[in-house]
Amino acid sequence: MSRTMAVARMQLINKWTYLGWPLTILAASFLMSLAIFALIPVNEGKYGGGSQAPMWYFMVLGIQSMTLVFPFSQGLSISRRAFYLGTLGLFSLIALGMTGIYLLGGVIEGATNGWGVNGYFFKIPWVTDGPWYSTAAFFFIVMMFMFIIGFWFATIFKRWGSNGTLVSTLGTAVILIGLAALTTLLEWWGHVGNWMGQQTPLSISGWAALLCVALAAGSYTTLRRATP
Amino acid sequence: MNDTIVEARNLIKHYKDLNALDNVNLSLSANRIYGLLGRNGAGKTTLMSILTAQAFATSGEALVFGASAYENDAVLSRICFIRESQKYPDDFQPRHAFRSAALFYKNWDQDFADRLAEDFQLPVKRRIKKLSRGQLSAVGVIIGLASRAELTFFDEPYLGLDAVARQLFYDRLVEDYAEHPRTIILSSHLIDEVANLLEHVVVIDRGRIIMDADAEDIRGSAVTVSGSADKVDAFLAGRKILHRETLGSLASVTVDEALSSRERNEALELGLELSPVSLQQLVVRKTMAGFGTTSTTGDFADDTLEARR
Repeated sequence: MSRTMAVARMQLINKWTYLGWPLTILAASFLMSLAIFALIPVNEGKYGGGSQAPMWYFMVLGIQSMTLVFPFSQGLSISRRAFYLGTLGLFSLIALGMTGIYLLGGVIEGATNGWGVNGYFFKIPWVTDGPWYSTAAFFFIVMMFMFIIGFWFATIFKRWGSNGTLVSTLGTAVILIGLAALTTLLEWWGHVGNWMGQQTPLSISGWAALLCVALAAGSYTTLRRATP
Repeated sequence: MNDTIVEARNLIKHYKDLNALDNVNLSLSANRIYGLLGRNGAGKTTLMSILTAQAFATSGEALVFGASAYENDAVLSRICFIRESQKYPDDFQPRHAFRSAALFYKNWDQDFADRLAEDFQLPVKRRIKKLSRGQLSAVGVIIGLASRAELTFFDEPYLGLDAVARQLFYDRLVEDYAEHPRTIILSSHLIDEVANLLEHVVVIDRGRIIMDADAEDIRGSAVTVSGSADKVDAFLAGRKILHRETLGSLASVTVDEALSSRERNEALELGLELSPVSLQQLVVRKTMAGFGTTSTTGDFADDTLEARR
């Protein structure tokens, strides 16, 4: 257990990686969005997608923890299990903290009528319409998802090289296209549309959480046999 | 002495088109300095990776402190193996790497690490990915030394280091080893440089252990006899010849046997010259004998030059 904690602490030794950069990206994206909102002479609510910027960095973090931090952890004779739990645990904490910031930002945004310029950075139509816990769940899961998908692809890459990555990417695409074709053939799009219409941000979070768990479990089994 | 801490049994590592390890059996005792010698690609790093559970054997068993190291924190916490091509987190500086090591090694000595960083003139606040090859090696060497792990592997630790830095490493290693005995495995192809440090020598070639002996026993286990060709050949008839060189009517022949004092006197009376064989020469000759080459320009000479650049 203490070695798992140490894995998390190790990755916080350089504060920039997990704290400095995500906050910098968020702040920069926020300020740029505000500047643009202020420049648009419209009195209705203005919505931008700038709050997703840190999410892409989380995917990079997911990739790097597998391609660089994992080999380093092996050099320090850290077990694969401790590395995995420590890294995923640390990332959950970061995602939790970021979710808190997003929620708080949303509250301030609402209270100040969009920062005085009617611009909405944290508020996203539909996504943040529900109760606070639905918004929180959505942001948290999306952040986890980005990290885990990066981690998962990097595990595939570490284990099976570029061929494995290519096969799994193409495989995923083929499966998705196949499902779409099947839906068309069976004329199920109506049902699919209905189902989509019934989803709430909370239920989407639930589905995404399931996918996260599946990918996380998958990357663990692959990691168990990965070499640095 | 018989405190075995590493035991490899019938280790085989098979890649697509080669046997990286071909039935390796090895047993290492506590508190000694081992040399793991061999050419590039002989299987040194593969063997160390499998012992430390960083890689997996195709078959066979590797026991460290009596158990497999795989996912075994009790065993892993006593091992340090920074590989020659070690990767570090993207944003890390040497000081971050040292603080990481401090989290995992209970005997970590930060003062020692600081002193070593100064000795090696390592910029501890520069990003690791911006360091030169030699500085990168220094990071690994410092982690290996300051972690004071019971079982420490050094994987060609001298790459890119200049002669002064290499000597510093050898000196610090011996000093610290004297104060804090532990098992050190030094993988190297700069054999002459490390010969004096080693207490036991393991030579691996094309996945096979071709020599596994105490350094003491190896010294003087072979001899080179030179003189006029017919006299040399007559004197050495029936012996285990490792290498033979001729220049006109003169011959210089290395035999894989020690000579008794009576035989030595006999050789001197015949006007033959006897010279000792260095560990490096012996390893080169044995490797080449196994390879079936008679060429006198070995890769070892090339490697030595390369590493000194």
